[in-house]
Amino acid sequence: MALLLFILPVFFALSVLIIPKQGVRAYGIIGSLAVLGVVIACMMQYNNDGTVHLFVNQPWLAGITMSFGYDGISLIMLLLTAVLVPLVLVSNFKNELAENRLFTSMVFFMQLGLIGVFISMDGLWFYVFWEITLIPIFLISWWFGAPERKAALMKFFIYTFVGSLAMLAALIGIKVNAPSFYIEDLKAVVFTSKTACWLALGFFLAFAIKIPVFPFHTWQPDTYTKSPMAGTMLLSGIMLKMALYGMIRWMIPLFPEAVACLQWPVIILATIGVVYGAVIAIKQKDMKRVFAFASMSHVGLIAAAIMVWDFDALSGSMVQIVNHGLVAVGLFLAVEIIERRTGTRNLNDLGGFAKQAPKFAFWFAALAFASVSVPLTSGFIGEFLMLKGLVQFDMIVGIVAGTTLILGAVYTFRAYQLSMYGPVTRDQFADLHWSELLVLAVIIIAVVILGVYPALITDFVNPSLKIVLETISTPSGL
Amino acid sequence: MDALLIVFASGLISLFAAFAKKPWLVVGSAMAGLLAAIIVIIGQLQTGKAFFDFLKYEGLAFDQVALLFSLAICVLTLLIVGIGYERFKENPVHTGEYIGLLLFSATGAMIMTAYTDMFMFFLGLEILSIPIYVMAGSNKADVRSSEASLKYFLTGSFATGVFLFGLAWVYGATGTFKLQEIQLKIQEMDTLSPILMIGVLLIMASFIFKVGAAPFHFWSPDVYDGAPPAVTGFMASVVKIAAFFAFLKMFAFCFGRGELYDFWKGALVVMIVITLFVGNLSALRQVKFKRLLAYSSITHVGYTLLLFVSQGDVAGTLWFYMFSYGFSIVGIIAVAIAVNDSEDRIEGLRGLGKRNPFLAIVGIVALLSLAGIPPTSGFFAKYILFSSAWENASWLVIIALINSGISIYYYLKVLVTIASPAEQEQEKIKLSPLTIAVLTIALVGMLGFSFILPFLY
Repeated sequence: MALLLFILPVFFALSVLIIPKQGVRAYGIIGSLAVLGVVIACMMQYNNDGTVHLFVNQPWLAGITMSFGYDGISLIMLLLTAVLVPLVLVSNFKNELAENRLFTSMVFFMQLGLIGVFISMDGLWFYVFWEITLIPIFLISWWFGAPERKAALMKFFIYTFVGSLAMLAALIGIKVNAPSFYIEDLKAVVFTSKTACWLALGFFLAFAIKIPVFPFHTWQPDTYTKSPMAGTMLLSGIMLKMALYGMIRWMIPLFPEAVACLQWPVIILATIGVVYGAVIAIKQKDMKRVFAFASMSHVGLIAAAIMVWDFDALSGSMVQIVNHGLVAVGLFLAVEIIERRTGTRNLNDLGGFAKQAPKFAFWFAALAFASVSVPLTSGFIGEFLMLKGLVQFDMIVGIVAGTTLILGAVYTFRAYQLSMYGPVTRDQFADLHWSELLVLAVIIIAVVILGVYPALITDFVNPSLKIVLETISTPSGL
Repeated sequence: MDALLIVFASGLISLFAAFAKKPWLVVGSAMAGLLAAIIVIIGQLQTGKAFFDFLKYEGLAFDQVALLFSLAICVLTLLIVGIGYERFKENPVHTGEYIGLLLFSATGAMIMTAYTDMFMFFLGLEILSIPIYVMAGSNKADVRSSEASLKYFLTGSFATGVFLFGLAWVYGATGTFKLQEIQLKIQEMDTLSPILMIGVLLIMASFIFKVGAAPFHFWSPDVYDGAPPAVTGFMASVVKIAAFFAFLKMFAFCFGRGELYDFWKGALVVMIVITLFVGNLSALRQVKFKRLLAYSSITHVGYTLLLFVSQGDVAGTLWFYMFSYGFSIVGIIAVAIAVNDSEDRIEGLRGLGKRNPFLAIVGIVALLSLAGIPPTSGFFAKYILFSSAWENASWLVIIALINSGISIYYYLKVLVTIASPAEQEQEKIKLSPLTIAVLTIALVGMLGFSFILPFLY
């Protein structure tokens, strides 16, 4: 059953290449819904005791094991992936891109890589899938991105690849002392805190570039702006989450000895990123750049909260991971809707669409509220728990990170106001297409449901988080 | 031994088949011979029995490891004959010579995998090299091809001279040519004689030359560039396999004694670092495809040299690494042959995705495999290589990883050139069924080799 998680994306990625052009749209959506079905079936089977359920576990080559499985954390990440991919495809429905076989195929390869990252319980397979995701997203952006994309994308690829190599070095370094790459074997290795710091730094470099944490973020705004909308959605919606997931699943459990030396630097860098991203987002003219920096600011907060390594903060970051995935996809769709109709994303040239497209104005506003984490959206629960953890960790850090709530409201509503209100700038602005409406509505409904009843996520995640936390001693003891 | 004879015989047959002036007959007999050799080797690997057992000559011992390497040599030669055929047959008068020479060279390579005394080693080296001197110049109308041939011949024979010189010193120190006796003599020495050390260094210099590592790499870009693509592919894959394994056998087995190891390891480590950086940094600004390939191959030599300071199943790692590298080379060379750009610019690959999607996919996968990006076998090979070297030389592995990071730039550059559309409409590329078959094998090798491997062990 769970093997279908691998088989289906590969099958659809290859078979879509020989489908007639008119059928590609529907075929892609059917395929992604099929994967969603499998993920939901896996969630139903999971008995929620928090342990990792391995569905394949075999030794393989040179200490690499075929261990794939999932626990609550993985399942939530899988669900996020499986929900977002159909949303990305549907939101593309009106574009010519959706007819493109290569594009759809690459999206499925991307999904394969993401699923692999979330269910690999073997260090090397984690690395393998981590790298696999890079190629489809690079090709999607390269083939279908903005005209002057090339330099930005080369930078993106090389940057992330070099980061991953640091992770590979760390993996080799830890494997030398372990019988195999199986996660429990790797966890069992005990290091002196100096070695652990160096090795954890290798992991952190890979994750910090992907998240991105200040000062490793320079690839991000350009890549986001130059990628096609679907690429940006995949990048910010799911790909960043790989790194956050990697911190929870791999970096800290593997090197608990390193928490002592990495905790402060990482939290400080991440907090700088929170404020820095937000401040820059306020000044941007390009709407996509606003949300690119906003994304950096939001995930910086998640990274900081994870490093606190406190139960509530972790729980909150899982909620926020889901929330940010959904909201980021929604916001980039909103940008795309505006760009499709007006041909520009420059905030100075926009305005007055609220009158012409009331439906759009409503859903965009709801998204903006979700993005700034007003109560009753899932962002509120997430940010509240994370900030609570940060304040408990250190008051000043908590306060500085807390400014994200204020700054977030500033840049989000500035973008909203400049584009939706003010004098009417265009003769006509068509209201939402059904596919756009569907995506926005699904996102908003999901965000509100999770905001009212976050236990849908936390019930799933908490037992697993407890186990992850228990395997290493509490941070106070480190 | 059986496979060796078969390959040699089919080389002869294809030479004579050339009189019929029917290229397909030549290539057919060559490929049939290689296929037969592969089957024989696999049979021998499983049963452990050889048909020509009575021909047991002391200088050659086809044990398991030698057989595995012979298998790699035969498979890769087969693939290269397959992709080179389109070019070879353009000149029907000479097809037989080209393919015959390739097979003779492969014979030399197989001798180098199985040698047990230095005399056979030297013979193997020469049988391997001399046909390639000729092959490099086989494109007689092209000045660069003649240049490549002459350059390779002069420098190559000089390196052979250096090797013989070193061998003479080693003989002077130990009084024998047999590997086992040399090893025994070295173990028995109270202190290492300086004569031996000089000999080892000279042999190492010739080895570094043969595989094309810095600082003896200057011939390789010119020769790779000038030689016909199929020959370039042969040099990059088969020749390297043979040279690496033969020297690995010699250095690990004969010169492996503690103090001696420390002595040549110092020199080698410096050369590894130089090789990695020279190969990578020179590759960054190349505009010609085959020159880029030459520099990339220098870098790969640098990675492979890490094996000499590794531990564990070094031969197995080398086999896996060179095999998967060979598959990528076959893929890349096939692209170069099919595009057939006389100026050989990287830009000439632009629009390949439109001209022939299958070829473009093979090219892209081959580049990913060369760059060591998962899930290609190039990645797994590189990983196993690096992890086996980690214990002894972790800082070298880190340097190698940094170099992997540098190298991604030029591989990516070629990759996106293949993936980008061309400015003007170009004619489609038609592939012959033979090429498609070979490329399919290479593609399966690049993607699935690491997945099949656990079942072979």
